[in-house]
Amino acid sequence: MVQTEHGGNSGFFGIAGRLITTWALLGGGVLLLVVAVNMASIIGSMFGKPFPGDFELTEMGVAVSVFAFLPYCQLTGANVSADIFTAAASKRVIAFLTLLGSLVALGFASLLIWRMYLGMMDQKEYEYTTTILQIPHWMAFVPILISLALLALAAFVTLSRDLTALSKG
Amino acid sequence: MTDAVLLGLGGLIVLVVLIGIRIPIAYAMILVGGVGTMMLNGPALVFSQLKTLAYGQFSIYDLSVVPMFVLMGAIASKTGLSQALFRGANAWLGWLRGGTAMAAIAGCAGFGAVCGSSLATASTMGKVALPELRRYNYSGALATGTLAAGGVLGILIPPSVVLIIYAIIVEANIVTMFMAAFLPGMLAVVLFLLTIAIYVAIWPESGPKGGKADRTEFIEATMGMIPVLIIFGLVIGGIYLGFFNPTPAAAVGVFLVLLFGILQRNLTWSGFVAALKETASTSGMIYLIILGAELLKIFMSRVGLPQEMAAWMAGSGLEPMTVLILLLVALILLGCLMDSLSMILLVIPFFWPVLVDINGGIYQGAEGAGFGMSTEDLKIWFGILALIVVELGLITPPVGMNVFVISSLARDTPMIETFKGVAPFFGAELVRVVLLVSFPALTLWLPHFLS
Repeated sequence: MVQTEHGGNSGFFGIAGRLITTWALLGGGVLLLVVAVNMASIIGSMFGKPFPGDFELTEMGVAVSVFAFLPYCQLTGANVSADIFTAAASKRVIAFLTLLGSLVALGFASLLIWRMYLGMMDQKEYEYTTTILQIPHWMAFVPILISLALLALAAFVTLSRDLTALSKG
Repeated sequence: MTDAVLLGLGGLIVLVVLIGIRIPIAYAMILVGGVGTMMLNGPALVFSQLKTLAYGQFSIYDLSVVPMFVLMGAIASKTGLSQALFRGANAWLGWLRGGTAMAAIAGCAGFGAVCGSSLATASTMGKVALPELRRYNYSGALATGTLAAGGVLGILIPPSVVLIIYAIIVEANIVTMFMAAFLPGMLAVVLFLLTIAIYVAIWPESGPKGGKADRTEFIEATMGMIPVLIIFGLVIGGIYLGFFNPTPAAAVGVFLVLLFGILQRNLTWSGFVAALKETASTSGMIYLIILGAELLKIFMSRVGLPQEMAAWMAGSGLEPMTVLILLLVALILLGCLMDSLSMILLVIPFFWPVLVDINGGIYQGAEGAGFGMSTEDLKIWFGILALIVVELGLITPPVGMNVFVISSLARDTPMIETFKGVAPFFGAELVRVVLLVSFPALTLWLPHFLS
């Protein structure tokens, strides 16, 4: 079930919604850049000038852009669930169950922020880079951590939305 | 049975319960996989894996083709490409009895060639073809049934997101899978067209003849299909002939579809933004499920459940074909409850080892194999069969998503009529599965020929 993007009309939720949507569109922009890199690589190799490192740019770019999509998915309820077994349940029950889903999302986002922050520190400490262009991997973790923070925010927004639905019954 | 296997079985049960109570499937897998591994090996292992696991999964090169094909399909649906396709097909087929419905099927097949999703194909072609079908007084059942069924072609004709995921799970070559899907996809088109022909032969009033296109309309409409042929030829043809890998090919596809939209002046800024948002929801959802499936896979392979099940099935003394049919039936039944992608990610890691075991191991050649073909061929063949049966859930009750989408476009046709209209196509799909099971060459010939 796809819900409205801006979780509620009130100030905070409205701003959060716009922020998350904009971030997802930026992620889309990164994906378009990946498309451009691949086009450049094809055209380059036609004229005997292959684009070095198109593989690793693709890998890194897609990872960064997909992480940026996650908060938007949470906000709009794009993550698929099987609704068939609870189709007959009351609105209250369903609000409670979606609340559980939001809680799991919030918990997972928080856990990943913690773990991937440490992951970034590891990458920095051991100076891991991509093979050809020598791009440090930790750089990709910076936008990813922002995405995860926004995922936590999105989960918080859906959580409050579920709570409101639950209290209204 | 060891304690570990019991823990695995317990995990599966919890997973089913969580999915049953509407926890998003991706999060249910993450929860069971993560907590399960923690219970088995302690939290330290999971915590250290989580530092890089998600980044590692999201940056797999073979997967990068998925968001790009999603983007290509999303943009294509905003460019008027579907109108051009339908108009062209209608100029060729519209004068026949049931011809406008046939044109809708052909349009779906054409759109499926640039889009890897069933729902997008159904809704995009539905918007274009439903008004026309109504104009020619087609019965609601035939009109909506045709489009709901036609949507399935979106996933059967390459590019196909589900097929890419399958290829990654069983470590098959994506290019080979795309080649293998081509003839079965064409077979689906032929069988669907035949279904319509038989349908209107029995109930002539349900699909009247449309107008015959005059010469100028015929030529213009035919010319209108050329861009799609070029895009499909360059993208999929380029992959088949080995000009480029799937990812650069998808990039070419995105570029060409954008170019087409801009040149035709059909792609608006808001349409473009909507396409990006659609790409965000679809790709984000897919990748989160992939991450969940990976966590679940780590847990399951540590407890050894898939191996245990494979050994048990192999030792059960059932004929290989019986096992295959049982697995396909299980997929059809599960398909009625879950979306196809989650199902492939959830079930194939269990089913595939069973088939490998029965066939005689991963390096088994055709000689003496359980299915009379090498395990490499079995991988391709089973992938196509699985792809077809999981998609059947889209057109069957209780959660026939394609039917829901078309129903929401055709409010005046009750959903029950749409399910009735789609039933003959479901029959055609079963015929196709039987054909593909009986004649593996239908699937395997093209990849063998091209490689």
